[in-house]
Amino acid sequence: MIRKHTRRAAKAAFAVSLAVAIVLGLYAGAARPARSAGPTIVIGTKNFPEQFILGQLYKQALEAKGFDVSYKENIGSTELIQTSLGSGKINFYPEYTGVIVQVVFHRTFSGKTAAATTALARKLEAAKGFAVLKPTPFFDTDVLAVTNATAKRFGLESIGDLRKVGAFKLGGFPECKTRNTCFLGYTKQYGLQNATFVPLAGISAYAALDAGKVLAADVFSTDPPLGKSSKYTVLADPKHVTGFQNVVPIVKASVAKAAGPAFTKTVNAVSAKLTQNAIVAMNRAVIVDKQDPEAVAKAFLKANSLL
Amino acid sequence: MIGDAATAQTFLDAVAFVVEHPGFLAGKALDQLALSGAALGLGAAVALPLGVALGHLHRGSGVAIGASIVGRALPSLVLIGAFLTVLGIGFVNNMVALAVLATGPMLTNAYDGMDGVDRDVVDAARGMGMSRAQTIARVELPLATPLLLTGIRVAAVTVVATAPIAAIAGGGGLGDVIVNQASYRLEGVLGASFCVMALSAGVWLALAALQRAMTPRALRTDRVPGAADLTRKELP
Amino acid sequence: MTAAGPVIPEFGKGSACVTGDHVFCWDWVRDHWDDTLQPSLVDHVELTLIAVAVGFAIAFALALLAHRVPGVGQPVGVAAALIYTIPSLAIFQILVPFFGLSTTTVEIPLVGYSLVMLYPNILAGLQAATPEVLEAARAMGLERRQVLLRVELPLAVPAIVGGLRLAVVSTVSIATIAAFLGEQGLGYPIFQALKQPTPFKTEIYAAGALVVALALACDLVLVAARRLLVPWARAGS
Repeated sequence: MIRKHTRRAAKAAFAVSLAVAIVLGLYAGAARPARSAGPTIVIGTKNFPEQFILGQLYKQALEAKGFDVSYKENIGSTELIQTSLGSGKINFYPEYTGVIVQVVFHRTFSGKTAAATTALARKLEAAKGFAVLKPTPFFDTDVLAVTNATAKRFGLESIGDLRKVGAFKLGGFPECKTRNTCFLGYTKQYGLQNATFVPLAGISAYAALDAGKVLAADVFSTDPPLGKSSKYTVLADPKHVTGFQNVVPIVKASVAKAAGPAFTKTVNAVSAKLTQNAIVAMNRAVIVDKQDPEAVAKAFLKANSLL
Repeated sequence: MIGDAATAQTFLDAVAFVVEHPGFLAGKALDQLALSGAALGLGAAVALPLGVALGHLHRGSGVAIGASIVGRALPSLVLIGAFLTVLGIGFVNNMVALAVLATGPMLTNAYDGMDGVDRDVVDAARGMGMSRAQTIARVELPLATPLLLTGIRVAAVTVVATAPIAAIAGGGGLGDVIVNQASYRLEGVLGASFCVMALSAGVWLALAALQRAMTPRALRTDRVPGAADLTRKELP
Repeated sequence: MTAAGPVIPEFGKGSACVTGDHVFCWDWVRDHWDDTLQPSLVDHVELTLIAVAVGFAIAFALALLAHRVPGVGQPVGVAAALIYTIPSLAIFQILVPFFGLSTTTVEIPLVGYSLVMLYPNILAGLQAATPEVLEAARAMGLERRQVLLRVELPLAVPAIVGGLRLAVVSTVSIATIAAFLGEQGLGYPIFQALKQPTPFKTEIYAAGALVVALALACDLVLVAARRLLVPWARAGS
């Protein structure tokens, strides 16, 4: 009785293993990627809508010109995406010039002008083997905002005026706490001893301001809520803590070289069209009108003959 | 397993985080208990009278069973999000969302406790001349106490265990650390997670001890509560 | 010659409903079903199915063991009760150092929770056969295995289905937490909606409604399955 079961079981096990081996073999064979013409541009983006739009713009423009593009959206903050870039998981992403200088390379201030900042960023990244392409006309800096009511109540016009307020809470995305362009910069350069940092993980800074969870919050200058007739007051930054922040695509130098001059030309052509009005309009379309970043990017590229 | 040495190091770092930030974590834990307590109180205010009343009348078993199922089916994240849109961001919306979760076990167990009291005992009490109110207070409730208190205990631990999720909606507590890995790093998140588990276990044990103290001696058993106490076996 | 500024096309205004953040915007749901709601729903169903299937397999094996070997039942029952009270978010995070941000990390707690619902119910189901019935079966000449297959299991079906209903409904609910570990499940649209400058009501309600609808649909399917498998069993038995 036992021997019969063992033989049957052994036959079954053999058949199953053979089948599994065949299936695995076929799968491995099929999974090998087809040979591509040039290098694959692996585009990454950070974790907010403006970055999704930028990523889609560059992705679609390059694909239209026949480049092989792979896309990894929503990787995370600067710190995280820099790790991805360094490890080779991506080889292209849109970064802000001041962030390169003040966050990636930990300088306290940007260059004295936008152009100087771009040049400095280019120099610093080149040493690590990364090319910095032409900057966009638009810039997007951190700004410190309060509700209009708060500004009126304490007479706040510039960041330094916050010294007048008693102990208060300053909200922002988590990494803001240790950045020269953000909380660290604000408190150190303007002497804000009375500020406590509140990391905002779930709700947005605007929601936190509205609910009174924080008195002031770090937000971004191209955000739709800061447009015309805004409910919020942006505090002036005379010491220029938040730096110059035009967008430059960072590309691995070897990949840019292998992709050739057509690659650089295509990317720069897109960047040249990204004015302040353009990016604000696209941000509004995605954040307020809830359009898809892919569709918004496509419409923009088509209208400007880049697709 | 990803790099056992690295994993061990992460856990050691997590323990170090707890040891280095006792005041901070204790403050967060107290915030969490405050939110949980408020939610439990609100839930009890609704669930207990309703459950006791329905159980006494031996009516509305569907409601009792339904409450338990609904409580289990409604994800905490959905409740927190939905109440945030109505009640704004802060303590109140999270308290109400968690209270909804607390209601289920308490309502079901209050009903079961009262409904399950032996009818002969109740008849005997009425026969002895006790009024309805007296019967409830002196006969049915004491007999229903074990199940009632178990329901409260399950609700309490459910709320304490779920409260961290409320941190994304301004709920505070240890969840503030857990959802903020960018700020506190993995060590902080792990450390806070350990604290939540300890808090949860602590509440369970404390309430179990309280329950034992409150149960009339004649009804105490040494039976360890099994899974059967926490899961309803019957569904309509 | 300097280039003219870019052409900024009309991107399509969001409906008044969306920009005004009214209570519920069907047009948003229609427009974004394909890119937001459906992928999350599919993820969610996958996560649930894997968790319940694996949980069922383990719970069944354990229940069978407890049914055969006396004395195993109680300690397993206690462990099961304790697992249920473990905070889900904390457990997910604690598993990250071991398994990274992978499906495994998400599935282990989900399997654990569904196991805890299934085990007591399967065991109770297996114990549903009364001694008289078992004696009769053995008297008819059935071997141990045949008794299990032809008598105990059919009698266990109502309780097993009851356990499955509990497990599926709970798993669908807890799987929303998976969004904390990645862009997966119906919790993810809720996160995205909460991050907006004004939390976006429609997305929260739509995702929430889908979760509840999914739980209800699974429950109905299981009730129908029970009716098919054991038409002779009355509801609630």
